[in-house]
Amino acid sequence: MKLTRRDFSRFAGAGLVAATAPRLFAPALAQDKPLKIGIIAPRSGAAGTAGECGIRAVQWATERMNKEGGIAGRKFELVIEEETNPKDTIERLRRLILQEKVDAIHGLISTGVSLGVAPVAEEEQALVVMWDGTTQDGVKEMMPNPKYVFRSTDNECEAVMGSLLAVKHFKGKFKRVAGINPDYSYGRNNWEAFKQILARFGVEAEFVAEQWPKVGTMDLTSHIAALNAAKPDLIFSSMLFADLPVFMKQGHAAGLFNGVKMVLPAAGWQINQLRKEFTPEGIIFGHNTLYFDHPQASPLQKAFVTDYMERYKEAPHWEADRAYFALATYKAGVEAAQKAGGKWPTQEQVAEAMPGLEVESLGGKGRFRKDKIAEQVFYQGPSTNNNKYDFPTLASIDTFRAEQLQKPPGMDFWEWIKTAKMPV
Amino acid sequence: MSIFVDVVLGGVFHAAVLFLVAAGLQLVFGVQKIINLACGSFYALGAYFGITAVGLAIKLGMPPVLFLPVLIAAGLAIGLVGLPIERVLRTIYRRDESYQLLITFGFLLMFQDVFRYLWGATPRTMDNVYLAYGSANFLGIRVPTYNLLVIAASLAIAVGLGLFLERTKTGRIVRATAENRDMAEGLGVNASRIFALVFTVGCMLGTVGGALVVPSGAASLDMAVDLVVESFAVVVIGGLGSMRGALVGALIVGLMRAAAISLVPEMEMLSVYLVVVLVLIVRPAGLFGKATA
Repeated sequence: MKLTRRDFSRFAGAGLVAATAPRLFAPALAQDKPLKIGIIAPRSGAAGTAGECGIRAVQWATERMNKEGGIAGRKFELVIEEETNPKDTIERLRRLILQEKVDAIHGLISTGVSLGVAPVAEEEQALVVMWDGTTQDGVKEMMPNPKYVFRSTDNECEAVMGSLLAVKHFKGKFKRVAGINPDYSYGRNNWEAFKQILARFGVEAEFVAEQWPKVGTMDLTSHIAALNAAKPDLIFSSMLFADLPVFMKQGHAAGLFNGVKMVLPAAGWQINQLRKEFTPEGIIFGHNTLYFDHPQASPLQKAFVTDYMERYKEAPHWEADRAYFALATYKAGVEAAQKAGGKWPTQEQVAEAMPGLEVESLGGKGRFRKDKIAEQVFYQGPSTNNNKYDFPTLASIDTFRAEQLQKPPGMDFWEWIKTAKMPV
Repeated sequence: MSIFVDVVLGGVFHAAVLFLVAAGLQLVFGVQKIINLACGSFYALGAYFGITAVGLAIKLGMPPVLFLPVLIAAGLAIGLVGLPIERVLRTIYRRDESYQLLITFGFLLMFQDVFRYLWGATPRTMDNVYLAYGSANFLGIRVPTYNLLVIAASLAIAVGLGLFLERTKTGRIVRATAENRDMAEGLGVNASRIFALVFTVGCMLGTVGGALVVPSGAASLDMAVDLVVESFAVVVIGGLGSMRGALVGALIVGLMRAAAISLVPEMEMLSVYLVVVLVLIVRPAGLFGKATA
């Protein structure tokens, strides 16, 4: 074939267009690819049940949201990594950012881990929406104004609520109080908050025993014996891992709960393991931000709980809500930022758009404050065993908003407890 | 008085389980000179397999009171996993101790993934055994009957093991092999067979311990590592390789822990490791261990 100068010019022109096309159409092509959301959650160990429940919830939400068009018209997929210790989890975070090139990272349950991860995420300018992780060292906020890191509600919300409900339901009915709490800052802070709230409401209590088992202790016989010897009228425990059902079972067998009032502000995490045969009725029982059996549940919660219970033959707990909330607020942030800018937003723009956007999560409406701390709805109440399940439900539901249970931005927690207007 | 009884009962229950695992560790070291870090995995394996066995017993319609024998049988049966593991360990009997430590540590980590694969990451509990036996009144203290049964079972195993080692021909051969393997082989003892027997019995002690304890607690991926740490405290106190040391060491660890929890809860760990440090300083070979040159 003879190649004329005209043919050459035509081919050269077409070649140039072909060569430059990927650049010209890059944003459009990028938007055709599915979004990638990295998930970091524990699947083993003490927090394994929580991580698994959260992962199941985001998988359910992914399927549902993708059917409805995805996030701002783009489908999305999950890249799941394990949350373990801070060092290894930070490596996995970097892998998600640098190798997987994810558009955002959700997850993180342990505050011990999230305290280490948060500064790295800020440094890498990666948008991280935590499920249950905070950046509190004890009750002190270590990252007051992050740019990219969104945190869960303060850890102490459930303890504050449980303490208030102990005042509401049990005031005047107990004198001798014992505590058994996990031996790390969560347990220590919750116990201290409980004591201070009792004092603030004029409850004259005698604190007769304190036990601090390490998380994961499966032989609590001696701890229970020590509590029994102290003869308490009320036991407060913020245990929330697999050791809580073990405590209840061993305590029941040792007769610890006979005539004793109980406050378990974080029991909902172990709902499926807390069998009726060893869990007495009338416990102040905390479900945090998702009570699976709420009679006035939203259609969204009803759909989720039905699907979850059919598929996994157990009840979902609050980690499902935290995971869904993270995804829903991220989706709302992307869509708001895209609408405002008229093009696909950067992670920075999404992070700027997210605070203040109210979304419907599984357990109710919630949003992130300006300082990127979540505000959601909390559910607790006295428990009953009169239900169709193997485990307790709530006889009546007390509902508080996080604004009523957590310190405002910049305030010291212990000062706030002394002066806050509390909903009881 | 009630605090004293509480401390003793809580401490002895903890010691009962700890003794079984530490006894397995001691037996294997005494004869094979291997420090078996995988002993914690055998304990966890017994716990997980115990749950499966009781699940099967429930399906077969067995009454709950029979679950304790089912658990012991399950522990003994799954303890046979010691046989193939011993075949692997044979390759490093003549090597440096560090190889033995590394390979048994490898087993400890590998077993975690086996448990994760077979039973999942979520801690598994068994509710129908612990409460089925009710509670007993012991010197005015309400105690779960199951705890007393575990203490009794552990004592029976300790006595049985002692009789086996002291009074039977095989026991004498085991002790002779422990004293001097080459001499025993020279007298016609099949040391390989003795090693396989000892390792499997050591493994069974751990699996039975795990199977016995799981109704009161839960089977979890972390339980293997947690127990290894405590078992080594027992071994250091009692003396490496001594069965009597395992018994006394387990009792000391169990009782110290229980006393600290009742009296000064913050000292739970400190109290145990204070004894470990003291023993290491005053009697480095342990209370019943033989000093080496």
